[in-house]
Amino acid sequence: MSEHYGFEEEEFQTSFDGATLRRIIKLVRPYYKWIAGFLIAVAITSFIDSYFTYLGKRIIDEGIIPANTEALRQILLTFGAVMFVQAVTVFAFIYLTGILGHRVKYDLRKTMFSHLQKLSLSYYSKTPVGWIMSRVTSDTERIAELVTWGMLDIAWAVLNICTSLIFMLTINWKLTLVVAAIIPVLLVVAVWFKQRIIVEYRLVRRANSKITGAYNENITGVRVVKALGREPENLREFGVLTSDYYRSAFRAAWLSALFLPVVQIISAFAVGGVLYFGAGQVKIGDMTIGGIQAFISYITFIMWPIQDMARVYASMQHAIASAERVFSLVDAVPDVQDKAEAVDPGSVGGDIVFEDVEFAYEDGKDVLRKFNLTVRHGETIALVGPTGAGKSTIVNLICRFYEPTGGRILINGKDYTDLTMHAIQSRIGMVLQTPHLFSGTIRENLRYGKLDATDESIEGAAKLAGAHEFISTLPKGYDEEVGEGGNLLSVGQKQLISLARAVLAQPEIFIMDEATSSVDTLTEALIQRGMVTLMQGRTSFIIAHRLSTIRSADRILVIEDGGVSEMGTHAELLRQRGHYYRLYTQQFRREAYDREEQLLDAEMVS
Amino acid sequence: MSNTDEKKPISERLRGLWHMLSGYRLLYVGALIAVAFAAVAKTSSFLVLRYMIDEVLLRDEIGRAVLLIALSFIGLALIEGFFTFLGGRLTARTAEGITRQLRDQLFDHLQRLSFSFHSKAQTGDLIQRVTSDVAAIQRFFGEQVIELGRILLLFGINFTALLLLNVELALVSVIIVPVLSIVSFFFFRKISQLYEQYQEQDARLSTVLQENLSGVRVVKAFARQDYEQDKFERENHSLFVRGRDLLKLHAYYWPVTDIVANLQIIAGFGVGALMVINGTITVGTYLAYAGMIMWIIHPMRGLGRLIVQASTGLVSYQRILNILGEPQESLTEGSVEPQGDVRGELVFDHAGFEYEEGQEVLHDISFRVKPGQVIALLGSTGSGKTTLMNLLPRFFDYTSGRITLDGIDLKAYPRKYLRRQIGIVEQEPFLFSRSIRENISYGVGRDVSEDEVIEAAQAAAIHDVIETFPEGYKTVVGERGVTLSGGQKQRVAVARTLLKNPRILLLDDATSSVDTETEAEIRQALDRLMEARTTFIIAHRIQSVMNADLILVLDKGRIVQRGTHDTLVNQPGIYQQIYDLQARVELELEREIAGV
Repeated sequence: MSEHYGFEEEEFQTSFDGATLRRIIKLVRPYYKWIAGFLIAVAITSFIDSYFTYLGKRIIDEGIIPANTEALRQILLTFGAVMFVQAVTVFAFIYLTGILGHRVKYDLRKTMFSHLQKLSLSYYSKTPVGWIMSRVTSDTERIAELVTWGMLDIAWAVLNICTSLIFMLTINWKLTLVVAAIIPVLLVVAVWFKQRIIVEYRLVRRANSKITGAYNENITGVRVVKALGREPENLREFGVLTSDYYRSAFRAAWLSALFLPVVQIISAFAVGGVLYFGAGQVKIGDMTIGGIQAFISYITFIMWPIQDMARVYASMQHAIASAERVFSLVDAVPDVQDKAEAVDPGSVGGDIVFEDVEFAYEDGKDVLRKFNLTVRHGETIALVGPTGAGKSTIVNLICRFYEPTGGRILINGKDYTDLTMHAIQSRIGMVLQTPHLFSGTIRENLRYGKLDATDESIEGAAKLAGAHEFISTLPKGYDEEVGEGGNLLSVGQKQLISLARAVLAQPEIFIMDEATSSVDTLTEALIQRGMVTLMQGRTSFIIAHRLSTIRSADRILVIEDGGVSEMGTHAELLRQRGHYYRLYTQQFRREAYDREEQLLDAEMVS
Repeated sequence: MSNTDEKKPISERLRGLWHMLSGYRLLYVGALIAVAFAAVAKTSSFLVLRYMIDEVLLRDEIGRAVLLIALSFIGLALIEGFFTFLGGRLTARTAEGITRQLRDQLFDHLQRLSFSFHSKAQTGDLIQRVTSDVAAIQRFFGEQVIELGRILLLFGINFTALLLLNVELALVSVIIVPVLSIVSFFFFRKISQLYEQYQEQDARLSTVLQENLSGVRVVKAFARQDYEQDKFERENHSLFVRGRDLLKLHAYYWPVTDIVANLQIIAGFGVGALMVINGTITVGTYLAYAGMIMWIIHPMRGLGRLIVQASTGLVSYQRILNILGEPQESLTEGSVEPQGDVRGELVFDHAGFEYEEGQEVLHDISFRVKPGQVIALLGSTGSGKTTLMNLLPRFFDYTSGRITLDGIDLKAYPRKYLRRQIGIVEQEPFLFSRSIRENISYGVGRDVSEDEVIEAAQAAAIHDVIETFPEGYKTVVGERGVTLSGGQKQRVAVARTLLKNPRILLLDDATSSVDTETEAEIRQALDRLMEARTTFIIAHRIQSVMNADLILVLDKGRIVQRGTHDTLVNQPGIYQQIYDLQARVELELEREIAGV
């Protein structure tokens, strides 16, 4: 999935945004105790790390050189005791840091998900699902990483360097100055390297998504490739992509391979200095052999904290960019919101009035202009017309997925913005052109219409909608899994289930976007029957394609260019010989052709 | 494909990976040698330290010697650094080089695999193998093997040095190493199991999220926001719990192995110190020892991780092998070397085809086609129309009877030649995400001038549409560019085929999805394309077959009716029924309109 939106992931700010950083810190503020806990644990750990080296020095200076076995025993015992303490603090910081990380991810995802439930359809129409997915999955991961392991690593690195310096100071302050001088150099070098490496890896990822794209295209289009004999050219073109990848990946890899040696060499100069000056001081008694040994250890192991700091610094930029995107999602304001005094009257009835309704998805591009319509309770309205004329818009407005930009919509005589969204939407039953099911069993999907429905009523609804027959032929019946997005079922079956789901919901208003693709005749008849059941006694809006639906509607609205161009019953409109007449005859022929194909199929199979 | 996956024994897979290294073996061995040199340099610096303590400091011979020692210390660091870098660079060259080779090889192999492979394989699965599994191979060579080598070399070289310094001390210092490496192996195996479960849960969470987002209308229309939040909460919490389980394991492993490793180190220090006091070893030896022991014990804890990770690399390699093991179809192989173009005379002589033994999809197909004739195939879905068409470019080879082209057995022609002679226009043609110009000239096999492209587009009645795009012929189609309608795609494919100028044309005639105005344009374009070419049409409507020279009605892989329109219309059968239905439609419509 990642290849579809691989590109945008790469963009991040190069400068730190203080406000974003503060907001990230705010996220973990409730967990300050845990943070304090792991910081203390890591402080002790890193102190003990340095202390071990110091004990190593004492073994030499106090045990070995004076040949004092008693002192040696003491030091080794201390060593052992401290080691156990460190084991505890290591356990503590791993556990606390890790658990906080999981907690932060958990919290962020929860917050984002519940905010997503509140956002209006306008947000979803502008924002690709893939984009949102990455925010909830990978961006939360990066933020959590920064506030936990990132913070821990920085703390460990800084403390490690500090405690090492302190121990060195107590051993010999002059030599410590030599060592201290290289630390800034190391930091600068480390950051320089990390930045280079990030740039290369970005190129690698970009090349990688191109390669995946090329694979994908060549596999899905293999028939055309073969038919046109393009194999050699395609391989040549692909070779260019893999060469690009090779160049960036190789560069990134050898830069990484250069990083540690450079740091090591710089610290080797410090070690050389310590040996040179230290030896002289041993002679005059300012330095001990154990001291030299300790200095060498401290300097050798300084490269780890340096490396950690550089790594966190690099990932910090990424994490902040992630946080910015996450916050932009959480800050998005739903376009449609309940008024403070909005009510739920318990029932909304079915009288719907559009009063001079205007609507535009984007400023200046009107979809509806001065749209007027009065629908009485129980009426069936068929909406017909070319794509993009505004049929779906009318439906979206009724559901209050969007609100009119001008005029108003009345439900049961009341401006519908005085009602809560829940009041309206929980009383609408909807069947979409491309039916959407959720992973799980058929029963669970049906129960979506009414959460406390009994198995009997679920079966009853399925029978009414005409879905029962096919469900009972499945091996596990109602407990059959539908697969991700329902993809184990055919389109027709999915449609029957979504109809049954709407039947179960017992809505007051029924909305259906009829599928254009033809399902087999039997399923179509079943769907037809289910629809009739649903529409009885309910106000229904059907975006209609099938002739049978259109003909049986109480009123037909021909929607063209943001308004109703014709309105009336089937017979009235046909007599007018206008737009409807043209649409109808076209559809008549199309269905005839479909029947022709189906007849062919049926004849052959029998 | 996964259920037919066979597994090769590990030794054979390792041999396969060794084979994959060919061309890079020298580099890779060089990388390992460089790593070894770096380790030797590091160990030597401890010996320099030993020398300095024993021969200089303790004898008070400070002076020029110290400077030399300091300089040699720096020198050794430079050598170590150089070889570490060299090792890294050679490794990168090998790993990236192998991956590039593998990617190219897989790409080419996939496009040369037979149709029967592609019709069974799932795109998602293939993509997974050529991306993730190849990346696993890259890590295998680029990180795991070399890191394993580094740990073992560090151990071997330092241990050898220790042995040379003092055998007893050396042996005392490595007691724990076997234990540590075994524990680490089992730990990481357990971790990788738990991690898999964690990732499965992660995928479940993503599914809930994805379904919620793509079904936002349903969620809103049923006002099920709370229900959805509960569902998400369950999966999110379960992910949290699994993360915690994974974490616990880490939180126990590291401190426990810390204790074990440190105990070993303390014991070593103690024994070493006592040996110095007893006079068995020198102070300098002890110091060198104290430095080396760190490089023996600590890396061992990571050994298990490398072994577990490397074993996933072997799994990936197996999955790649399964693709590479599929036989390619040859493009050039054939017993004739035809010159020029074919005439287009085809004879099917009791031809049949079966995908697998005993599953015949075409039986006893016989008919003749003269050059330039039009053959229409009519039949239900699954009747064998498409399969019959697929035999001509040898996407599949017929399995019984005989098919000849210009009197020569079809199987005698090299596929490449044959496919150059045949043009295909599909119902919903596949266009590549490139510019329209590139799509039209795709597969012509020669340089095509701008004028030729435009001419073809005009003849295919798509030129005017292209001109309306801001970037004209440079407009990119597909996900990153404009989306063309089915009819527009079809006309681009017609233009593409016109440029290719094949002698035989295979046409999947589906105009049902387009509206009446474009239908006329497409028909004209198709008529132009069919001129003077032997043409096979898969027909969905009678209208498009009326002018055919021969109509074949197929059912269950057999020809059940044959003839021209005039003969079939007067023959009782499916053809007649459909024809009658068509005539009835207009009548019904008239009646209905008059009736209101």
